[in-house]
Amino acid sequence: MLESRNIVKKFGSKAAVDGITVRFEPGHVYAMLGPNGSGKTTWMKMAAGLIKPTAGEMLFGGRPVDLESRKEIAYMSTEPYFYAWMTVKDVGKYYADFFPDFSYDRYLRLLERMELTEGLKTPELSSGMMAKLKIAVTLARDAKVWMLDEPFNGIDLLARDEIRRSILEFAADDRVLILSSHLVEEMEAIADRAVFIKEGRLAEEDDLEELRDSRGVSMADRYRAIYGRVEVEA
Amino acid sequence: MKNLIKYEFRKTLSVKLILLGTAALAQLAFMIGLWTGRERIYSLGAFILLLLAFVGVAVIGLTSVLILHRDMNTKQSYMLFMTPNSCYKILGAKVIENGISLLLATVFFFALGALDVSMLMAHEGRLADLWSLVTQFLEGIDSRITLDTETLMSFAFGLLASWFSTVTCAYLADVVSTALLKGKRWNGLGSFALFILLSALMNWALLRLTDGIASVRTVFLVQAGISIVFSAVMYVLTAQIMERKLSV
Repeated sequence: MLESRNIVKKFGSKAAVDGITVRFEPGHVYAMLGPNGSGKTTWMKMAAGLIKPTAGEMLFGGRPVDLESRKEIAYMSTEPYFYAWMTVKDVGKYYADFFPDFSYDRYLRLLERMELTEGLKTPELSSGMMAKLKIAVTLARDAKVWMLDEPFNGIDLLARDEIRRSILEFAADDRVLILSSHLVEEMEAIADRAVFIKEGRLAEEDDLEELRDSRGVSMADRYRAIYGRVEVEA
Repeated sequence: MKNLIKYEFRKTLSVKLILLGTAALAQLAFMIGLWTGRERIYSLGAFILLLLAFVGVAVIGLTSVLILHRDMNTKQSYMLFMTPNSCYKILGAKVIENGISLLLATVFFFALGALDVSMLMAHEGRLADLWSLVTQFLEGIDSRITLDTETLMSFAFGLLASWFSTVTCAYLADVVSTALLKGKRWNGLGSFALFILLSALMNWALLRLTDGIASVRTVFLVQAGISIVFSAVMYVLTAQIMERKLSV
């Protein structure tokens, strides 16, 4: 459904993404993993159409990502990005105005679950509340692909549980969910596939069940093996 | 497109409310001064209104450029560029919002000015004599100049269109800076030089193409037309660069 072919993004002479070829199939929850600066966010932004690749292709349904694909791909940035004059209600209205797949009813349900009220002003939200708002407004879209960049950043344990529940609730056979996070253990409970990015390149792609069953290692073990110095094997 | 324009108006609302509030206060001072016969107060009100007519229109244009800059260079850019809208539409909404805002501000200050001058003339009969003296004086300098309403409106329209095209030049310079020169050491200087060059080119065209036209009113109207065509060219070029090269 969503794939990149030898995609490259350079900022000046430095390649943030350096020839990643990867394919994301519907019906799966992917954990996109890698340390800071590995290229995860840049890759996601290219898929969302926010960044133009230097070389290679980003395809959605076999066609290069374009305006049409923006209707089907929901991206949540790790940084807050709402206009300063917006209330929580304004954010919902804005999404409803621009995204045909946005459901205001679902947004209201998610707000309730996240304990947010429509009258709150976005500049006054704490980082945790802001993270919950971003999740709520993104998941209120009935998108084919959801890409959530660091969805658990700055969120307490209870709120994290709510977010995890919401993410799993909306995961479906015809959808792709891609989550990036540093909280590897947290991701293990949600994802069924893992994509490891290292220095702008695809380091490894794993089916987590297969990894556990046939090799007896967890996603965290693979993370340590790829990015750390000690190889963990069963 | 309708929604994009709606949000562009929302982004500039606070600046417009400040301008409108200041104008309301100045108008109030003018009217109170006129009714109570205090010349200093109504002179001050009139002065602030006159100043605001020029500064206000300038501020509206500059605000639009600053918002475009913020919409491309901060995280707020995701709000715009994540939506399924082409750069032609995104920039088009900004151009339309700015055009409408500048036009409304010009009409507003022009109408307010006409109202205040009429009130002043009714109140101070000798002003009518002074007005005709000024008109005769200007006609003495150049017989093409007449201070009638049509000429003043043409002048205001020409000035408005010229400022609008300056704003579109600034859009292009800003987009070139963000999309093509980002990270380069001479980015700021380069984009500023481009802005100056484009503005100079437009002014040269305005002077060159209206040279020899006898009627001042026609000169203003032709200049307005040239400015609008120039703005359209700037818009297409800017949107083209955004569509092909802009990463946020």
